[in-house]
Amino acid sequence: MVVNPVGVLTLSKREIYRFITMAGQTIFPPLISSFLFMYIFGVAVGSRIDFSGTGLTYLGFIIPGLMTMHLISSSYENTTSSLFIARWHNHIQEILLAPLSYFEMVLGLLAGGVARGMLVCSGVYAVAVLFAPLSMHNIFLLLYFAVTISVIFACAGMMAALWAEDFGMLSVWNIYFIIPLVLMGGVFHPIGMLPQFIQKASHFNPMFYLVNGVRYSVIGASDASILACMGVSLVMAVAFFFLTVYLFKIGYKLRT
Amino acid sequence: MRDSNRAIHIQNLTKHYGEIQALNDVSFEVKRGDFFAFLGPNGAGKTTTINALTGLSNFQTGQVKVFGYNVMTEYVQSRRLVGLCAQEFNFDPFLTIHELLVYQAGYFGILPKEASKRADDLLARFQLTDKHNVKHRSLSGGMKKKLLLCRALIHEPEILILDEPTAGCDLELKYLIWDYLLQLNKEGKTIFLTTHYMEEAEKLCKTIGIINHGRIVRIGEKRDVLRDKSLEAVFLEVTGSE
Repeated sequence: MVVNPVGVLTLSKREIYRFITMAGQTIFPPLISSFLFMYIFGVAVGSRIDFSGTGLTYLGFIIPGLMTMHLISSSYENTTSSLFIARWHNHIQEILLAPLSYFEMVLGLLAGGVARGMLVCSGVYAVAVLFAPLSMHNIFLLLYFAVTISVIFACAGMMAALWAEDFGMLSVWNIYFIIPLVLMGGVFHPIGMLPQFIQKASHFNPMFYLVNGVRYSVIGASDASILACMGVSLVMAVAFFFLTVYLFKIGYKLRT
Repeated sequence: MRDSNRAIHIQNLTKHYGEIQALNDVSFEVKRGDFFAFLGPNGAGKTTTINALTGLSNFQTGQVKVFGYNVMTEYVQSRRLVGLCAQEFNFDPFLTIHELLVYQAGYFGILPKEASKRADDLLARFQLTDKHNVKHRSLSGGMKKKLLLCRALIHEPEILILDEPTAGCDLELKYLIWDYLLQLNKEGKTIFLTTHYMEEAEKLCKTIGIINHGRIVRIGEKRDVLRDKSLEAVFLEVTGSE
């Protein structure tokens, strides 16, 4: 499938280099906000929430949720900004003129989103260590979820970047769909705290499975079946990836 | 399959943007090693043809081949053979000019060591060595033109497509570019040039094609197209311009 490995690696390197050189905008802000979330919700407010029946602390409960939330937003924002700026300045032509298949183009652009998402996710975990000793239930499972979730949202970011006509349109999907669904997916609350109707509705929210997949990997507890979480994340990652490749193939807002 | 003799083969190419017909049944060939001038008034279809050739534009009907490779179905092979020097300055703003060339070479499968050497050679050839570590924003217009050329040449393409390469250049730079293009053509590269400067086309090219309102109105070897007239006179005659 990859016939130009040097080309793909070069594109991946450029995408990673871009966000590393702007770490002040790409890496540190989510770590600072995670620190504040953990301190305010986990320590200050969380110490008053009765979680004794679960065998967990509230802080321990929200840490995997925060890891997922920043994994999603970082991988999404990376590809959105990179691809949209490339369209805006028209230096996307550097890639479109190169002997890379559309599969390879998407793979190369994806690398930045996946790398940034995973770096930020690991950073949030490291910040959490400042507040409490943390367990790691299954690191391989965490790696599986980190890769599939970052692929889903790096691809979603590329689709948004292709669709958007101006900078304002870039944040539409994030504000109106992704953030509400992620927050309703159980970042800060166990599903049992919600009214019966919303509990049932949550099972139709794909983010619920992603948040709970990461939670199970870190603390070994989840509101959803781990197999369902693995299945949802894998199906979404494959579907989003090939949909993005298809958009590149037809030249959606890339070719005149 | 590779066709070693025909560098470019365009057959019945039609392209429209909504109601506007940009190209209307355009057909022509450019032989390997030719220096081809593609002329026409503004909006005649020159850039659209270039975009179709390089895969930057979809088209409704027709076929475009580069050395026998179909640009839509065999785009990986065809793109390897083409270098485009575009009209606009479309550089990645995050990279220095050396990085920009090294990355561009990398997309074409060239390893970093070789890419860096080629970038150094091209920057030296176009007197940009001292700008090695700056971003393109701090270059003058003429320097950016040179950088566009460097980028188009970094993977040593067999066909060089130039969309008004000397527009806005001073005389010194214009002559530098002309000399270099003639040298490249002598070395065997096929050159496809669009320009509004008739003396440029007349001086450099072996074959001339003129497009107007999306149709080819005159094409042939330079002497056959000119027939003792100046290119400007022929151009005005066939495009009906005043």
